[in-house]
Amino acid sequence: MIKLQSLRKVFKSDLLTQPFVALDDVSFDVPEGSMVGFLGANGAGKTTSLKIIMDFIRPTSGAVIFSSKLGSSKLEIFKNIGFLPERPYFYPTLTGHDFLLFMGRLSEMTTTSINHEIQVWAPRFKIDHALKRELKTYSKGMLQRIGFLATILHHPKIVILDEPLSGLDPIGRKELKDVIIEVHKEGKTVFFSSHIVPDVEEICDRVVFLKDGKLAFDGSVGSLITDSLAFDYVVSVKADFSFNPQTPFKSVTILPNNLKKYIVESGNKDRFLVEMIERKYIILSIEMNKPTLEEIFYQTRGTV
Amino acid sequence: MMANKVYIIAYYTFKEILKSKILINVFFAGLGLMLVTYVATEFTYGVPERVALDFGLGTLSLSSLAISLFLGATLLSKEIDSRTVYMVISRPVPRFAFILGKILGLLGIQALNVFLLSLMTLITVSVLGGNITPLIYWAIGFIFLESILLLLVVVLVSLVANNILSTLLSLVILVLGHAVKETQSLTFVKNRGFFKIVLEAYHFILPGFYKLNLKEFVIYKTSLPFDYLLSSLIYGVAYSGFLLALTIYLFNKKNID
Repeated sequence: MIKLQSLRKVFKSDLLTQPFVALDDVSFDVPEGSMVGFLGANGAGKTTSLKIIMDFIRPTSGAVIFSSKLGSSKLEIFKNIGFLPERPYFYPTLTGHDFLLFMGRLSEMTTTSINHEIQVWAPRFKIDHALKRELKTYSKGMLQRIGFLATILHHPKIVILDEPLSGLDPIGRKELKDVIIEVHKEGKTVFFSSHIVPDVEEICDRVVFLKDGKLAFDGSVGSLITDSLAFDYVVSVKADFSFNPQTPFKSVTILPNNLKKYIVESGNKDRFLVEMIERKYIILSIEMNKPTLEEIFYQTRGTV
Repeated sequence: MMANKVYIIAYYTFKEILKSKILINVFFAGLGLMLVTYVATEFTYGVPERVALDFGLGTLSLSSLAISLFLGATLLSKEIDSRTVYMVISRPVPRFAFILGKILGLLGIQALNVFLLSLMTLITVSVLGGNITPLIYWAIGFIFLESILLLLVVVLVSLVANNILSTLLSLVILVLGHAVKETQSLTFVKNRGFFKIVLEAYHFILPGFYKLNLKEFVIYKTSLPFDYLLSSLIYGVAYSGFLLALTIYLFNKKNID
């Protein structure tokens, strides 16, 4: 749907300052119908990438290529994109309804269709009761929700969100995540940046990692977890007290009733199991000690 | 379709500024104008309508220039700082439509201000027995044109400077634009070639606001040659067009960061 090709962005505020490389040869794509999480620590270059995609700023070199399914001209393409900036702030004296009318009309919708969409979505976002109030009276969560409603109001083919979940309380995050999933299920491509790793892990099927302006990883969440770290296995065995396996293991926890839990590295797992079977010990369970995306992110410090 | 988008942006800009209670300031300016006029006429013998006209056009000019200067400086920077611009230009809205809409929205407020204050002035002058000559309408029109020109200067400068600097720079340009003609006629300047060249060069670069100032003519004369009025009008419109084109060009190139 969107392809970033060798993007490089160098900021230089004045003649005396050193140039700052915000993005360095960043290439990845957002496939059609996917839900892609855009991860990276603060300052990694996520927002700069999004601003380049949206043509707010121009890259020093490289290009952003949009699928022909989005359109051929810039206006046509932008008609099929829904974008929500980070910490959006809207005209405070407009009512919620006026704001949505404003946004919808700019996306070439008729007043009737805007009102219809508001009727459908406002209750889902739990802001239907506040549409006649001025935006300056909205809480942060409500502003985020009405911003997201404005983003999807015109049925875009791709939704791009910059830190949509930041600053929301757990309930607000859960509600917004549910709506993002629902929008994705409707067939829309979703691309959103976040530094809240569990949220990305929970709802995304692909993930793009940026680290210091460089691409650190681009692929499925599953492959990131599988490829990045060697797993351990937890093997529960019923064995007498004297049992001491010859196959190396990392640690053991002794439990009552002759139960032992061994932590075995993935490379030794098969040998360990064979030894158990040969010595006729009872294997009660075996499970993969799977790290979360967050654990990987912090263990690798974004360098996958 | 594009005109419609410009209109939508202009409409909501107008509505937003209107709700910021700017009209209350206009109302008080008008009230103050009538009060000061009344007091001044009490101390004036024979020409109360001239005093009323002088105060009226002066207030009108000051208030419209203040609106251009202070609201113009934040017209774009506020949008960029608060990221509202991202919500608009991430839609099928070209940048020129955005900036044109913003400027037209503010000009709508400006037109309302000019309309209300000039109405009060004309009523006051009429009540005091003054004649409403065509030149007064020209003067009001030129005040509006001057405020448009100043607004475009401020918006242009605000693309490359911060709010305070763009307000100050524009104020300097406004003062220079009014003083340049008088300065040129000084013997001191006439006798020095360098100053003469600098002031002539000024005309090619910065706007000559004095060309749009008819207030003195209105008060002391009843008419001006039509050629003079027409050439000033063409100058104001052409300069505004040039500034608008330059502003759109720069905004198209600008990194909105």
